[in-house]
Amino acid sequence: MAFTDEQLERYSRHIILKEIGVKGQKKLLAGKVLIIGAGGLGAPAAMYLAAAGVGTIGIADADKVDLSNLQRQVIHTTNDIGKRKVESAAETMRAINPDITVNTYYDFVNSSNIMDLIADYDFILDGTDNFPAKFLINDACVMAGKPFSHAGIIRFKGQLTTVIPGEGPCYRCIFKNPPPKDAVPTCKQAGVIGAMGGVIGSLQAMEAVKYLTGVGELLSGYLLTYDALKMEFHKVKLPPRGDGCAVCSDHPTITELIDYEQAACDMKQ
Amino acid sequence: MKITVAGETKEFDDGISVSKLIELENVETPQYVTVSVNEEFVDSGAFGSTALKDGDNVEFLYFMGGGR
Amino acid sequence: MADLDFTVDETIDITSVTCPVTFVKTKVALDEMDEGQVLQVHLNDGEPRQNVPRSIADEGHEVLRLDDNGDGTYELYIRKVGD
Repeated sequence: MAFTDEQLERYSRHIILKEIGVKGQKKLLAGKVLIIGAGGLGAPAAMYLAAAGVGTIGIADADKVDLSNLQRQVIHTTNDIGKRKVESAAETMRAINPDITVNTYYDFVNSSNIMDLIADYDFILDGTDNFPAKFLINDACVMAGKPFSHAGIIRFKGQLTTVIPGEGPCYRCIFKNPPPKDAVPTCKQAGVIGAMGGVIGSLQAMEAVKYLTGVGELLSGYLLTYDALKMEFHKVKLPPRGDGCAVCSDHPTITELIDYEQAACDMKQ
Repeated sequence: MKITVAGETKEFDDGISVSKLIELENVETPQYVTVSVNEEFVDSGAFGSTALKDGDNVEFLYFMGGGR
Repeated sequence: MADLDFTVDETIDITSVTCPVTFVKTKVALDEMDEGQVLQVHLNDGEPRQNVPRSIADEGHEVLRLDDNGDGTYELYIRKVGD
């Protein structure tokens, strides 16, 4: 595949980079990333990946744009209120870069649809806002051998890790089970600073770009935490993938996907 | 003795347990925190019986559920 | 112009584009060539003459020579190194 003059100009800042170059940009254009959740984390990630020329981007979300989303979900505008988030996000992504294909999935992920959803993608980005979804994405990606970026944000804090199934530890290696309903605050109850999604979602996009191009070292085996009030990043080294994990060990006890119950306050309003 | 907690080295009484450290560090939602000592996870049932020693490197890992 | 002691495999003209597309076009042309082949680049004086040979050398390619055409343009000869 040869670049058109327009592509050369659009991606010139990538192509100039020694680490990316022509080959890296071609890998991005051939790359397929699925973003689950078109919200605080998914919005910036989707915009950067679209701009970067990731050739196929899937976006899954069963919500519609709400006024309260606009403080942080920068892919949607005031005119989009009431629209399906996936449609609003896809319009923005196509406007940024008509070069790419955007697939939309107006659906919540659950144990019966997630395997089909992730099957066609190279890398998955978890931009969901609840523990049942985060555990489901982890387990499905581990079972399907799909690398993914996990992240969470709340108040002035955020964290992320990259899971490479079979190589590094997974989310369940760190947290064995979801916390009981309402035991741990989510951002709907606790609030979140808008730019936090920008910081952490952009880092997730960075991991996707690095994975697709094979450049640098992924955040596998580490949990990176960010405290905006202290303005501190802290990289926590995780224990290696061991025998203890119920899903990613060589002898897993969890072999089927689980639909955990959602906390009442996080159900669709 | 000196223990490094979340990257910061501080002075603590000799031989304190993980439970005591959780209390001293005012860990939020302590019943749901994951703790690693020298890059190994400590089972939550063993927090009280796990004594820390000089030079240990302790990390607290918290659930963070938000994202949308 | 002095005689060349090598053969040119590909030629591009980057006089109609500006930085950084000058370098990008050169890089893309080299990417499509085989190791050891020579690319001749027709470029303008000024920024392209200053930046393109240096950037290409930074990428590890061999800058064979840069000839002044005397009309505000130059001929740059690059041997591709690596794949």
